Amino acid sequence: MKRYLLLLALSLPMATMAQDEIPAAGPASIAYHEYRMKESVPPYGLAKVKALITKINDSEETTALNAKDYLGLSLREKFTYHMIHAESYSQNCDIVLPEPDEEKKIFAYLPSVFGDTHWSSRQLDFFQSNRDSVLALIKESANRSKRTGLNYKHALMEMHAVEAIPFLAEFYQRDRKDHDILTLLMLLMKESRYAPFLSSASYTKLYSKESNYFSYLQDNKANEDLIIKRATDFYNSRK
Amino acid sequence: MITTLVICCMAYDTAFVHVPAGAYRVGQKGHPVNPLRTVHLQAYDIAAHELTNREFAAFVDVTNYVTDAERHRNALVFEPGLKEFRWKEDSTAFWRYPNGLGRGGIEQKMDHPVTTLSYTDIQAYCQWAGVRLPSFEEWEVASRAGARSTYFWGKEAARIGEYANIWHGNDHLQADSSDGYMYTAPVGSFKPNPWGLYDVYGNVFEFCEGHLGKETSVHARGGSWWCSTHACNFFNSVDIGSVHPHASFSNLGFRVVKK
Repeated sequence: MKRYLLLLALSLPMATMAQDEIPAAGPASIAYHEYRMKESVPPYGLAKVKALITKINDSEETTALNAKDYLGLSLREKFTYHMIHAESYSQNCDIVLPEPDEEKKIFAYLPSVFGDTHWSSRQLDFFQSNRDSVLALIKESANRSKRTGLNYKHALMEMHAVEAIPFLAEFYQRDRKDHDILTLLMLLMKESRYAPFLSSASYTKLYSKESNYFSYLQDNKANEDLIIKRATDFYNSRK
Repeated sequence: MITTLVICCMAYDTAFVHVPAGAYRVGQKGHPVNPLRTVHLQAYDIAAHELTNREFAAFVDVTNYVTDAERHRNALVFEPGLKEFRWKEDSTAFWRYPNGLGRGGIEQKMDHPVTTLSYTDIQAYCQWAGVRLPSFEEWEVASRAGARSTYFWGKEAARIGEYANIWHGNDHLQADSSDGYMYTAPVGSFKPNPWGLYDVYGNVFEFCEGHLGKETSVHARGGSWWCSTHACNFFNSVDIGSVHPHASFSNLGFRVVKK
């Protein structure tokens, strides 16, 4: 049954009905955002792995390498496969867009990696089951390329790789550019329930009920040094 | 200052809201993917409600359609205790069991929005039913109902609970049913927008047609029962998400437009 509704729409002056505005990210922020989102590409068996991934991408039926091909990969090749291809999906809203002064912020969380996809259970299990090897390969690859890509940082977070803290602290201090390394250090302390961090002003600002997923600390040398010192103290306290 | 009163007629039946042809403002100044602009749209009729389990069941009864989640056993489901933005793979989940066999079926939820479908599945439904998905702009114009603000009622984020089934918890480690629903709510459980559309924010993300640069991704809008102010925060008329066309999540659904 069809009814008719008289719709009254008031067209008010722009001053009173202006669409909410958000400040746009400037060129430096957009450049830093792109830098943050970069993934590391491991060199181990790269051509072979890429060829297998092409086969997957050509198929409408699967996003994962079949068992035979997967088991035929060496550990280093599996590492490459997992670092450049995710077998499962990520949520529609799990995206982080460029924001103003992004380069001047130390965020509470890492931005999502791989766009619309995310590691499957099989892939996450690989990181845990081959923890020492994965950590060694990340260090080797990062030192070679002078970059700890977003995928490497996510893998370290998934592995809860507290043993990587000295490496991360030293790596950050080489150029003090990739603030997401500091984010990772804080996430490792948070997940470990490290008491001095849980009682800190930084924790309250980033991870308490007053915070949200997009909370951040202002980047400055004092905050950088404090995060590195806390993380190092945490690491040393475990010995 | 001049205030212009525009009067137009909007026809609708119990299922569809008519949106007249015209020029509409969409987007937001400064938004990275949805900038402020004027778009010109043809008239269209958009569903007042998200598509329900009952409606999708009628399609499956006739066609025996098998969804992506049933064929690939790769749906992503939610249960309290997961960290922010983390979902679980569940081989038993599909639209009849949106969060997996163990978390119950839809037998008593036929008036809830259908979920755990992929964009590809939805295309099959639309082809069978002779309908289509709204474009980004059509969805946004209908959701705004004439408003130019982030929400159709203005800027006050705190009013979201009047209009939308969302997640009110600070995180997803504990269940949140404070608005009566942890997962989906029956369509139309909350107040409609001024044009008579229900659940444009919250309940389920609604797939739209269109691409934002990357042709292999598809997009859904409006937020969902999972979305909170702490994480996601997409329950508004501005943000646009991005998802794989074969991904099936229990917070992804759709509303249709007449062809």
